[in-house]
Amino acid sequence: MNEAARSFLRAIGAPLGAIALTMALGFLLVASITDEPVQAYRDLLFANFDSLGNFALFLNRATPLTLIALGVIFSFRAGVFNVGGEGQLYAGAIAATVVGVFFADLPAVILLPLAVAAGIAAGAFLGWIPGVLKVRLAVDEVVTTLMLNTIVLLFTSYLVNQVIRDTSAYGAVSRMVAKSIWLPPMPGVPGATSGFLVAVVLALVTWVVLFRTEWGAQLRAAGINLRFANAVGVPANRRIISAMLVAGGLAGLAGALYVLGIGHRFEQNFSPAYGLVGLTCALLARIHPIGALATALFYAMMLNGAAYMQISTDVPRSLVNLLTGLLVLLMTARLRKSGLRG
Amino acid sequence: MTDNDTILSLRGIAKTFGEKVALKRVDLDVRRGEVHVICGENGAGKSTLMNILAGIHQPSAGEIVLNGEPVRIPDPIAASAHGIGMVHQHFTLVPSMTVAENLFLGRQPRRLGLFSDRAAMVDRARELSLRYNFGLDPNAPVGQLSVGQRQRVEILKALAFDAKLLILDEPTAVLTPPEVDELLQVIDGLRARGRTILFITHKLREVKSVSDRVTVIRHGESISTHRTADVSEADIARDMVGRDVFLVGRKGDGAARSFGAPVLKLDRVSMTNSHGRLLLDAISFDVRAGEVMGIAGVDGNGQTELSEAIAGLMAIQGGAIELCGRDVTRASVAERQEAGLGFIPEDRLDRGLGVTMSVAENVAATNYSRAGILRHGFVDRGRLDAFAASKIKEFDVRGAQASTPVGWLSGGNMQKVVIARELERDPALLVVCQPTRGLDIGASEFVHERILAAADRGHAVLLISSELSEIFALSDRIGVMYSGRLMRVLDRAVADEATVGTLMNGGEAVAA
Ligand SMILES: Nc1ncnc2c1ncn2[C@@H]1O[C@H](COP(=O)(O)OP(=O)(O)O)[C@@H](O)[C@H]1O
Ligand SMILES: [Mg+2]
Repeated sequence: MNEAARSFLRAIGAPLGAIALTMALGFLLVASITDEPVQAYRDLLFANFDSLGNFALFLNRATPLTLIALGVIFSFRAGVFNVGGEGQLYAGAIAATVVGVFFADLPAVILLPLAVAAGIAAGAFLGWIPGVLKVRLAVDEVVTTLMLNTIVLLFTSYLVNQVIRDTSAYGAVSRMVAKSIWLPPMPGVPGATSGFLVAVVLALVTWVVLFRTEWGAQLRAAGINLRFANAVGVPANRRIISAMLVAGGLAGLAGALYVLGIGHRFEQNFSPAYGLVGLTCALLARIHPIGALATALFYAMMLNGAAYMQISTDVPRSLVNLLTGLLVLLMTARLRKSGLRG
Repeated sequence: MTDNDTILSLRGIAKTFGEKVALKRVDLDVRRGEVHVICGENGAGKSTLMNILAGIHQPSAGEIVLNGEPVRIPDPIAASAHGIGMVHQHFTLVPSMTVAENLFLGRQPRRLGLFSDRAAMVDRARELSLRYNFGLDPNAPVGQLSVGQRQRVEILKALAFDAKLLILDEPTAVLTPPEVDELLQVIDGLRARGRTILFITHKLREVKSVSDRVTVIRHGESISTHRTADVSEADIARDMVGRDVFLVGRKGDGAARSFGAPVLKLDRVSMTNSHGRLLLDAISFDVRAGEVMGIAGVDGNGQTELSEAIAGLMAIQGGAIELCGRDVTRASVAERQEAGLGFIPEDRLDRGLGVTMSVAENVAATNYSRAGILRHGFVDRGRLDAFAASKIKEFDVRGAQASTPVGWLSGGNMQKVVIARELERDPALLVVCQPTRGLDIGASEFVHERILAAADRGHAVLLISSELSEIFALSDRIGVMYSGRLMRVLDRAVADEATVGTLMNGGEAVAA
């Protein structure tokens, strides 16, 4: 057990060190911009916890990030470099919206599961396409997932502008989904979506599936070495496609939960590049589901904290992009080093 | 001590890479004009020592005395200035260039000190090749040469620098048996011309046949130096491993062994690649229960394809494969495993293991339900680790715990993990490919014992190896493959190395 504890410490020591170093460098930077660096940094890190309202917004940010990161973890563990999180997210959001808008008369017990299922299915379908193309025709998944992102974004833009637009509102937003299927807020935190609880549970489920089932072991074997997986009788192609179905499904669920729990409608600009940030969260967590929950919370804190910091001081919120970029740099440098050791 | 006879002495050479001690203390005297073999298991530090002589590494301690003078060898250029030439374990030739261009890469003869003089270069290359009787065409692109010919280019490259002391780092590892014989002759010829040769190997047969003296290195220390004539193979093996070694095999027993019914039947199995080239040409044979069927052949004559066809990893275009009475011609890998297939692939890192996964996950890969690792459908970590621990113990996997990434182990211990996994299913047929490639004596001994034990328990074993001594030591029958064809199947009793060697090169055997 001592051995396990030590390896756990080593595993989290590196990311914590990188975060601490990033924060220290960031502080120097902030100090060079503003007269009140302490205030700026306090806002960046702690304004999220100033009020229940801020805390709710923080959890709402973390929810889609966690779910997308979990999806990315499934696909990466199966050896698929899936960068299609954004498209899968949008597909899930639009599918849930369409169901929630057009079948508003159905009773909630039917409509809610239907909307969620539609979101999952739409995302899963978007994951399935690059998965099958990779397995059957050896088409590079980076290209297909990136292209699908563009296609889906343009397609949802068409739908929201031409088909389900709320003409009484500004901007490209759809009509509201039936109020009966809005998700309840999280107990004790009004304004925070209960979708966050779903994300937490799914992080645990992902860990169990990947590391405590034979199916997960086979999926990882396919990702680590396809020729090895084949030789030990793993149906590797099927596992890869399944992983992409799950990956897309999780990102689709992120979209559906956003619509049902936070936006209550489809907004064309609802995502500040959740797909990309979710991918970063997964990588920083070394494609580990529990770690991804932590990195998603960290990113949510930074994204929202930057806004508070910009309001109260004259530090631009884009500082946070710089900091997160720096963090990625430090973390990957660290990854290379540990890679060499192996 | 450094009299005229001694060209090179090393005194207390040590080398550490960070925390890793590659060489602890090596003393070595090399006499002018001798062939001196350095012998030791994988990882003993042979290459590191030679790289120090070649100026690639700097020693952490110790002294190098060359021709009576203490020297420093800061880089490879200094090494060649001292007359030391090295042929590396891994070739360093440019495949798209010709033999002559490779020989003089970076130091072409110049005309007017500026333009490279191609004609002079080709002439010199031809002359060199003739002088040493290497039979190389100076204008042939290196990429088109056989492995043995490429190696001769490497040797010639060192000689073109006028190396007095030639170092060959495991030159025979990549060669076929006839090529090995040719190389040994080349070395004889060089000795006759007064060159001094340091020859690295861990194969005992070569030590005996080529060398004047032999120095054994174990765990970074020089253990002993003997005149080769004074020691037996077993003596050298004992020094290498540090204990008595039993070279296992069927050879001695001579007792007629009885076999069961055929477990594997191949009927005119054929395979073509996407360009229509025939990789397997109507191969038919049986392997019976309790029997070791050896397949000999030079690498690349269809053995890999044969093993992958039987394992279900490559599709065949003609013929049928039957395993334990079931037609598995079109069956998946998993179905064949179900029918009784165990498969030890030729490349552990490529097919045999997921190197970044733990020892436990590798050994459990095909055995989750069989070994009772699952509880209510979930992997029970305690049972997984216990299963791995029992296999680590049973198969003597050194330096491993259940959670160790399997890629951290040495080659021999990785191979033990593969074998442990495949034997767990108690397969009726065990297909074993190049099982001791890259393993040291101790590990090879262990692997051979396991293979024979499997046959004794009534498993059918198909052993595919390009190592003739292995085939002869273990097999009850020997098939020889050449160019995708199964040339002949011989009973062990009537097979001899000459016949099999001829067949391996495509020649018709004269003897039966
Ligand atoms: N560049 C290096 N860095 C770290 N360790 C090394 C390096 N080169 C060799 N070693 C280690 O030194 C030991 C001896 O290696 P080597 O000289 O290649 O053995 P041999 O040639 O006898 O098989 C091995 O344990 C190997 O892992
Ligand atoms: Mg070596």
